[in-house]
Amino acid sequence: MSAPASTSAGSASLGMAVALGVFAILSLAAAVFLGVADIPVADVAAVLTGGGSAEARLIIFDIRLPRIATGILAGIHFSLAGYLLQTITRNPLADPSLMGVSQGATLSVTIFLLLTVYIFKPGSNTLAELPVAWLPAAGLAGGLLAGGVIYLLAFRLGLSALRITLCGVAVGAVLHAVAIGLIAGWGSARIEIILEWLSGSLYARSWDHALFLLPFTIAGLTMLPVIYRPLMLLQFDAAVARSFGLGYRRQFSIVLIVSCALAASAVGAVGPIVFVGLIVPHLARFLAGRNFRLSLALTIVLGAVVVALGDLIGRLLGHAEEIPIGVVTAVFGVPLLLALLRKTM
Amino acid sequence: MSPRQSFLAIGLIVAAAMLAAMLGLLVGAKTLSAETALRVLLAPDGKLESVLVWTLRLPRSLAAAAGGAGLAVSGYLLQTLTRNPLADPGITGVTSGAVAPIVCCFVYLPWLSPAYYPFIGLAGGVLAASVTFCVSRGGQGRPLQLALGGVSVSLFLSAITTYVLLLTGPQSASLLFWLAGGFQGRSWSHVLYMLPWTIAGVAGALLLRRVIGMFMLSDHAAAGMGLQLGLWKPLVLILAVIPVAGVAPVAGPVAFVGLAAPHIARLLKPRGTGWEIGLSASLGALIVTVADVFARSIAIPRELPVGIITAMLGGPIFIYLVQRGRLSLAGETR
Repeated sequence: MSAPASTSAGSASLGMAVALGVFAILSLAAAVFLGVADIPVADVAAVLTGGGSAEARLIIFDIRLPRIATGILAGIHFSLAGYLLQTITRNPLADPSLMGVSQGATLSVTIFLLLTVYIFKPGSNTLAELPVAWLPAAGLAGGLLAGGVIYLLAFRLGLSALRITLCGVAVGAVLHAVAIGLIAGWGSARIEIILEWLSGSLYARSWDHALFLLPFTIAGLTMLPVIYRPLMLLQFDAAVARSFGLGYRRQFSIVLIVSCALAASAVGAVGPIVFVGLIVPHLARFLAGRNFRLSLALTIVLGAVVVALGDLIGRLLGHAEEIPIGVVTAVFGVPLLLALLRKTM
Repeated sequence: MSPRQSFLAIGLIVAAAMLAAMLGLLVGAKTLSAETALRVLLAPDGKLESVLVWTLRLPRSLAAAAGGAGLAVSGYLLQTLTRNPLADPGITGVTSGAVAPIVCCFVYLPWLSPAYYPFIGLAGGVLAASVTFCVSRGGQGRPLQLALGGVSVSLFLSAITTYVLLLTGPQSASLLFWLAGGFQGRSWSHVLYMLPWTIAGVAGALLLRRVIGMFMLSDHAAAGMGLQLGLWKPLVLILAVIPVAGVAPVAGPVAFVGLAAPHIARLLKPRGTGWEIGLSASLGALIVTVADVFARSIAIPRELPVGIITAMLGGPIFIYLVQRGRLSLAGETR
């Protein structure tokens, strides 16, 4: 793991924390104030303080805020999942979308969507009419299953980062092929709904989506103090970790489950937003240096900011035909990933 | 295997592929008896069965065979070029590099004749492979580097493809089926369209077998034997993309065939690069023909895309290769 010269604790990291906090607040404010519908700043401010026109209230409260909230939660999920995966596999390139977790969730959500459309609501053609509340749960099932496969492979392969990642890639490719095949074979009139979700999008996300992610976010964050110490030791190889009295296998499994649960539930809600889980932890570690606690905290904050900001970029650039956040993160993430690949190996 | 045995093996594999193709004539939404199929095959009479066999099922099986052979040779060339056993048109990003610009042309330049698609696919495939190779130091870095570089290039391109599909609306259904990889409804014109590219790829590989054989040595050794790496590396890379450029417009991405066929071919231990290429090509043809028959017969009256079947077969092979630590070409140990 590339750790630049460590930032000394104290004033330097305090200054950085303040700067980042300001940046985060500014980006989130931009996400609220800017959008395709041109609402003057004064009107937005009026809406936020309880006044404003009915139309402005509708746009702010029912469209922008819920999607920002969903984006924040999803961003936290993806970046934290990536951080945990990178730490336990000791692989700087681990990410839910590279290790098959996202694809597992994608497949199970696809199956779920096809089943609900065919069995329960044959007539419905919009996402709103579908039982979206169950999507995070559906995603969870598939993501955990993919995580289980990684787990089995990981121990059969003696936890070699290289091999686990390659197997994750293969598992991901197979699951992705199956998902695309199912959509092509059985999707018929619902293809657009599934595609929209498949590209990783915050379009038309309501408070329901945010509310259904929230328990997973809270559960994930409350697990952090529990897994914090094992996580620090899991950075080292099994022998070192065991010498500190760590039940290696057990802790590895717990962290893997937390990570898969975070990624999979988010995929269920917003689709696979690629590369956030890969890039954000690197950014955080770059800023935090060797300070483990700080890099973990930064991962959470930056994950939220990156997704909210990426969504804003997609909304503004695409205008009426907005660009899904998954495309935005892919476009920005890939050059970064390729640079990382050159640097780290 | 001695050359004679290799020749025999290729003959057997081709015969098996033909047998599979014959079987493919029988199954589908309407099942034919072997007798009927043979009768209309030898004497077409314009009736339903005859049309079924001659215009639907036969060209489709041929397209599958040609596509499989091309993909396998492409995989063989990529594996040799990079000395990386995990290389394959899918893993290195070649396939998505070919597919993404074709989707864009289909959507944004609908007046463009499909005759140009292979050229566009060729350019895109070479470009994507070049990016992957640059990242992984000519593909000769660690296998992980090449695989991850290629996968991220693919993820990038598929994000864009999905977005374009999203904007297309009603057309997206047919495009999506094509993206899943398959041979449904492929006609003689498709076969003719694809054949030159496949033949160019296979024949080119056979003609250049000496050069390609030298790539299996280290760069130093190859240069020592008088091989101009700066010239031949890009040329062989383009040669590897040529069959994919032919297959992609017709069948979309068919995953993992290019990975599996050369490995199975090498397991048979033929003597000489030419035989390895021949065995890979015939195995590729066999695998895709069989997969196509499966795709038609598993979920009658619906069809599964062939890409699913090959992915489900090829994924485990990939994992097996990784597990067994076969991270170098067969025969070597690291």
